[in-house]
Amino acid sequence: MNQLIVSTAPHVKTARTTKTIMLDVLIALAPATIAGCVLFGWQALVLILISLASAFLTEFVWYIIQNKVWQGGKEVVNAFFKQFDFTSLITGLLLALIIPANIDAWYMPLLGSIFAVGVVKMLFGGTGRNIMNPALMGRIFLFISFAAMTAYPDPNFGALFESNGSLMTGATSLTSGLAGEGTLSALDLLLGTGVAGCIGETCKIALLAGGVYLCVRGVIKWYLPLIYIAVTGLFAVALEGFDFTQFLPSILSGGLILGAIFMATDYVTTPKSKLGNIIYFVLLGLLTAGLRKATGIEVVSFCIVLMNLVVFLLDAAIKARPFGFHKEKKVKADTAKEGK
Amino acid sequence: MKAIKGKFFSRGIHLRDMKSLSSAAPVEQLAGVTEAVIPLSQHIGKPAVCIVEPGQQVKRGQLIAKADGYVSANVHASVAGTVKAVEERADGRGGKVRCVVIESDGSDATDFMAPLPENADGAAIAARIAEAGIVGMGGAGFPTHVKVKPAVKVDTLILNGAECEPYLTCDHRIMLERTDEIVRGAQYLAKAVGVDKIVIGIELNKPDAIAAFEKTPLNVVALKKQYPMGSEKHLIYVCTGRKVPLGKLPADAGVIVQNVATALAVCEAVEQGKPLIERVVTVSGKGVETPKNLRAPLGAPLSALAAQCSVKDDAVKFVLGGPMTGSALTGLCGSVTKTTSGLLFMTADETNADEPTPCINCGRCADVCPMKLMPMQTEFYTNAKDYAKADQYGGVLACIECGACSYICPAHRPLAQAIKTAKAELRKKK
Ligand code: SF4
Ligand code: SF4
Repeated sequence: MNQLIVSTAPHVKTARTTKTIMLDVLIALAPATIAGCVLFGWQALVLILISLASAFLTEFVWYIIQNKVWQGGKEVVNAFFKQFDFTSLITGLLLALIIPANIDAWYMPLLGSIFAVGVVKMLFGGTGRNIMNPALMGRIFLFISFAAMTAYPDPNFGALFESNGSLMTGATSLTSGLAGEGTLSALDLLLGTGVAGCIGETCKIALLAGGVYLCVRGVIKWYLPLIYIAVTGLFAVALEGFDFTQFLPSILSGGLILGAIFMATDYVTTPKSKLGNIIYFVLLGLLTAGLRKATGIEVVSFCIVLMNLVVFLLDAAIKARPFGFHKEKKVKADTAKEGK
Repeated sequence: MKAIKGKFFSRGIHLRDMKSLSSAAPVEQLAGVTEAVIPLSQHIGKPAVCIVEPGQQVKRGQLIAKADGYVSANVHASVAGTVKAVEERADGRGGKVRCVVIESDGSDATDFMAPLPENADGAAIAARIAEAGIVGMGGAGFPTHVKVKPAVKVDTLILNGAECEPYLTCDHRIMLERTDEIVRGAQYLAKAVGVDKIVIGIELNKPDAIAAFEKTPLNVVALKKQYPMGSEKHLIYVCTGRKVPLGKLPADAGVIVQNVATALAVCEAVEQGKPLIERVVTVSGKGVETPKNLRAPLGAPLSALAAQCSVKDDAVKFVLGGPMTGSALTGLCGSVTKTTSGLLFMTADETNADEPTPCINCGRCADVCPMKLMPMQTEFYTNAKDYAKADQYGGVLACIECGACSYICPAHRPLAQAIKTAKAELRKKK
């Protein structure tokens, strides 16, 4: 007879594992990745590959050093693949999707990924332990390091408003000039045609398709990105003195959709409770619209990372309220009265 | 009255119920029991006190151990024969229990109590329940005679026919085969408690059982197939809309819940004077050739059940009880008790024995917890040995140990186990 397995209940488990969930996220990012390559050409593809490879290698090297590959040898490498859960690939891909397709800056995804995976994720203890979204931190790291040095305007943090105050749809002045269009229609924004921007965030249709996939597969909750996008749009409208023409451009421009579907919903950096999540996404929407108005640049990345830092406050403030909780409170109050 | 969807509560999980393995198999008698190993403690409360001695002849149904105090239960001989020993035996779960070992003489000598007269009153029925050693047969094993005398006034008796654990079909089968006796048992119970209203809750995956009970005077509530529907608190909520206040008993919501198998035992005790000496056990899982529902005398060795269903070689996990809350056996020792609802032989692909990986904070465990707790918080603080915080942020004492959180966790974290640990630690401190 076989060796019996003795473990604690329950003895059946769902087939869903961290790996399959992360694989779903990668699948959901595929349309946006492909759209990015179509819109921006081979340069985009090369940047994506660089980013993926460096993110993967960073985790790999970190893991084998941490686990003393010089002692364990091949076993450590096998153990790495056994525990590998695709999260660093997601980080690498997301990072590539939020940088502009500028091949001259090929070192950007390389350094960004190394920073994102090495410092933001692994240094904090790996999957599940990071406090901030790695890809976004990688992006901010690049912005801080290179914004002053490189001459080209940066879509992700570029000007969002024309000098006359109208929304500029996330396109840089340089590239929208090249496209030969002063303003872009909502349809263009949706398809990403003629819009300058980062590799993955221009084609909203592709992003939405990925988002729908994630919702259907139960990876994210449909109402959370929706809350973020809607609150941002409505608050932007309110800030413009209830000019409802601002609604569509606000939600369709810049990195909002990508951020809302793929970045803000990152499990690790969101609150644990349902209520906490709803508050979190509402605040995120308000912050994004407010900061956009105040600074005139695209701030989705900053806002998400900022909000990542207050997650622990939300978690600390919201306690579990078990089934039957309300009644207990009443009963307690009654007995307290009787006691007096 | 009956929505197609059935009544449901929020949260909980949907399991592959695997009941089709054994749900069509009529109850059959377990054969080849030459020795019954009857534990003195098959219930919650104090173990019964043995009143027989090695060498003594006993008949089937004879009292062999007396309840010790109020919260305890009588134990009777389940086979006729000679008492061989009164000793400690391994229970298969790593522990030892004191048992009366009876060697069967193959005869059918019985020593039942006299049947109660038809017009017996509630007090007589309650006394009979205590004499017959009846306990909750759904799993907890709380002495039924204690339960039928609640401290506060109740108005409803709910029969639990949910059987929400996957694989198990023993309650399903008796609901089909012994419908009338269950109804009469429920009526006796209602009389003992002093209530008029009897409701039976049955999950929609047993449409034949629902149909059978709709022909009886009981009110049938069709329940959505949802785990843990059989939890008392949730069953009460879906059947009556009442919530049991936290930390209170069902009686505080005006309800008494009894399992269908318990009702059957009550009927037999009242009408035939037969004490609780046998029960139906589902033997199932992909690790057996022929899954069956066996009527086994209490104390029947688990190996006899296994033999009658032919265990295959690829069974890697033996589970006593249901797959969600049962315990894994260290070997095929131990015997059938009053609360043994199932014996499962699971193959490697049925059980999932992956190593836990780090929590990714996905929130699924909190999404499914029927008690609306935050298991990931509890586990985190339990691992840090900060039990006060575990309770403050996660909620520990309200946990019903259903295992839904561990089931759903994509990182395979042993959440329910951590919560049990925290619970034990917190209780110790009090
Ligand atoms: S915390 Fe307790 S009640 Fe909630 S799902 Fe886990 S085991 Fe069930
Ligand atoms: S289900 Fe598992 S991984 Fe998800 S939050 Fe709960 S413990 Fe963490």
